[in-house]
Amino acid sequence: MKKECIAMLLAGGQGSRLYVLTSDVAKPAVPFGGKYRIIDFPLSNCINSGIDTVGVLTQYRPLELNSYIGSGQPWDLDGSDGGVHILPPYQGAKGGTWYKGTANAIYQNIGFIDLYEPEYVVILSGDHIYKMDYSDMLERHKAAGAACTISVMEVPWAEASRFGIMAVDGDDMITEFAEKPKEPKSNLASMGIYVFSWQALRKYLTEDEADPNSENDFGKNVIPTMLNSGERMAAYRFDGYWKDVGTLDSLWDANMDMLSPASGLDLTDESWPIYARSVNAPPAFLGAEAKVTHSAVNRGSDVEGTVENSVLFTNVTVGRGAKVSYSVLLPGTVVEEGATVEYAILGGSGCRVGKGCQVGGTPTGKPGWGLTILAPGCELPDKKEIRPGVMLGSNGEEVSR
Amino acid sequence: MNGLHGIIFSYEQRSGLKELSAIRSAASLPFAGRYRAVDFPLSNLVNAGVTDVGVVLNGHYQSMLDHLGSGKVWDLSRKRGGLKILPPFNYQKDWGVMPFRGKIEALAGVRSYLDNIRQDYVVLMDGDLVANLPLADVLEQHIASGADISMVCANDSFFIEDGTYFEKDGSGRVTEVLYHLQTPRGYRSLETYVLSTKLLKELVDECHGKGQYSWRQDVLLAKKDVLHEQCYVWTGFATQMRTVKEYYDRSMQLLDPVIRRDLFTPERPIRAKGADKASTYVGESGRCVNALVAEGCRIEGVVENSILFPGVVVEAGAEVRNCVLFKETAVRRGAQLQYIIADKNVEILADRTLIGHESYPIVLAKGSKV
Repeated sequence: MKKECIAMLLAGGQGSRLYVLTSDVAKPAVPFGGKYRIIDFPLSNCINSGIDTVGVLTQYRPLELNSYIGSGQPWDLDGSDGGVHILPPYQGAKGGTWYKGTANAIYQNIGFIDLYEPEYVVILSGDHIYKMDYSDMLERHKAAGAACTISVMEVPWAEASRFGIMAVDGDDMITEFAEKPKEPKSNLASMGIYVFSWQALRKYLTEDEADPNSENDFGKNVIPTMLNSGERMAAYRFDGYWKDVGTLDSLWDANMDMLSPASGLDLTDESWPIYARSVNAPPAFLGAEAKVTHSAVNRGSDVEGTVENSVLFTNVTVGRGAKVSYSVLLPGTVVEEGATVEYAILGGSGCRVGKGCQVGGTPTGKPGWGLTILAPGCELPDKKEIRPGVMLGSNGEEVSR
Repeated sequence: MNGLHGIIFSYEQRSGLKELSAIRSAASLPFAGRYRAVDFPLSNLVNAGVTDVGVVLNGHYQSMLDHLGSGKVWDLSRKRGGLKILPPFNYQKDWGVMPFRGKIEALAGVRSYLDNIRQDYVVLMDGDLVANLPLADVLEQHIASGADISMVCANDSFFIEDGTYFEKDGSGRVTEVLYHLQTPRGYRSLETYVLSTKLLKELVDECHGKGQYSWRQDVLLAKKDVLHEQCYVWTGFATQMRTVKEYYDRSMQLLDPVIRRDLFTPERPIRAKGADKASTYVGESGRCVNALVAEGCRIEGVVENSILFPGVVVEAGAEVRNCVLFKETAVRRGAQLQYIIADKNVEILADRTLIGHESYPIVLAKGSKV
């Protein structure tokens, strides 16, 4: 079945900078925003952009991600031609390898892409929170007659050296690409979202694979090679909300951003819905003594205590007299009576803060302060105190960052 | 084939529900913040391992058809069996206008469907029964007792419009079938009946042949001495809401955690369609206490003792007390509501005040603007 454009979603990364949150799940399966997982954003963007065929490349701890995606029905990606396909590494007649890099992951699935004879392929990653119309980016790609179009956004100059930076000419065509440059020539950062003309990409992937010195990575190898070979490379400017949630701090930030639509992250806009596989639970109950302000609550939750500036996912319990502030409580977290939780991410899945515990604290501005993190399933006995900046594994033992 | 087959009746026109039932059947009445009444019987069936369910429709069934879809929500979209929608295709009277006069008439209207039932037992249920019944247990007791028909009833004689009540002896066998009572007595029927498929077909054929249409009059009452009719008494929450007042009272009972635990026991989850909405947000100035709140709401004002369906907006300075607000109700700045049931898409403009009474909650019709 021929398709004009399909999407390939790189979802195989471990997300090691999320530490205990990704010890059992791949990063794209990490919960976000009260009822979503990170992967809901690229998947919903695809269907909202009219892309109905998505390959999801998995490698690290795929079980939960696979069962979450399932048939693709929550995203309307369960059509009989196209839909969402999970693509793990596989063995062929001559053996097989793990995905060695982002480019190699696509290379190993050339057969899958060829099935749809696409003109264009969109390459996405599963660790960004944003709403983008890929069809608009595709229009830009076509209009520029480009072999590759990279979405870019302006970042503060001071931060530019943390990103892949593009220099562009007057037509926003890319003239130079530098991965994390010490002295950036522009402040246009790559967002890790690419549109390629498939035949061009196919050729460069094949050449890249044949190069023993290549790391088989889009940013490090394929993009620079294409640029050096004189291919037309277009920049697509994006000025909406976009955040890489690859670190604990940025994941926490993005959750807080959701509470304030002024941040640009507005999930209530029904013209661009973000879909999610929902859990079955009754509506949230806010008890007679509950004090909930500037916070999000979700299904199955039972709040009797105080909750401020926090995001409560599904099936969260906050007991009487407990106080939760500036925190993110993942699905199934229990905070018992009289406990205090500040500036923390609690991992859910049976994560329990016992009565009268004190977890985390407000920023001091001194070194050593940080968010307090409890792994999924981590249980704290009553009256335990966990200092700011500490991270505990699911067995309750401290994990260093 | 062993096992249970479900038949759900959804055709009554409950006049007592006023505006709430003008646009929908009682079975598609929204309840508990995110459910429709029929989600309860459907989930009860699925939780008991039932794979085949027929839903008998008549009257205003558009909203029911929208809600049921393919049955996917309840895992009833199956190659074999699954959900079957049964419009009144054999019905002789004015099509789609007159509801059936009784269950026998409704079943006679879908007689050929009964021949295709694969299971040995059938459970008949009303689409507006809100309860979390352990139907697997009901079937087990039905078989163990050797009864011809088992009827699930509540452990009270609470008055409901057009209700049926049973009296029973010490062994649970039905001794009297009562209806049209001014002062009800005995056990309140939950209109849930288990019997063998074979007996059901015999009873439908026999009654229909004689021009009889009423299940309770022509079967339960007429044959109580011939057939072994056995009560299964359910002590948990169970309601068929047939007046606005009862709808309101039952909704408010959900604010009691004991009742919620009973109705939403994790062992038998109630399944319902999801709403693709973001998390509910309570703002800086928001105060929301003793309330059941579905997703996608935005609360900047005061909400007390209320039930909010998805997408309700309560602006700053607005106060909502003792209300049930259906999907997408908007309560604008400074408005005050007490004892109100607002249907879908109602908008209360700024600074308006509307106050009903506990004994007479006011219903605002779908889409109205105050």
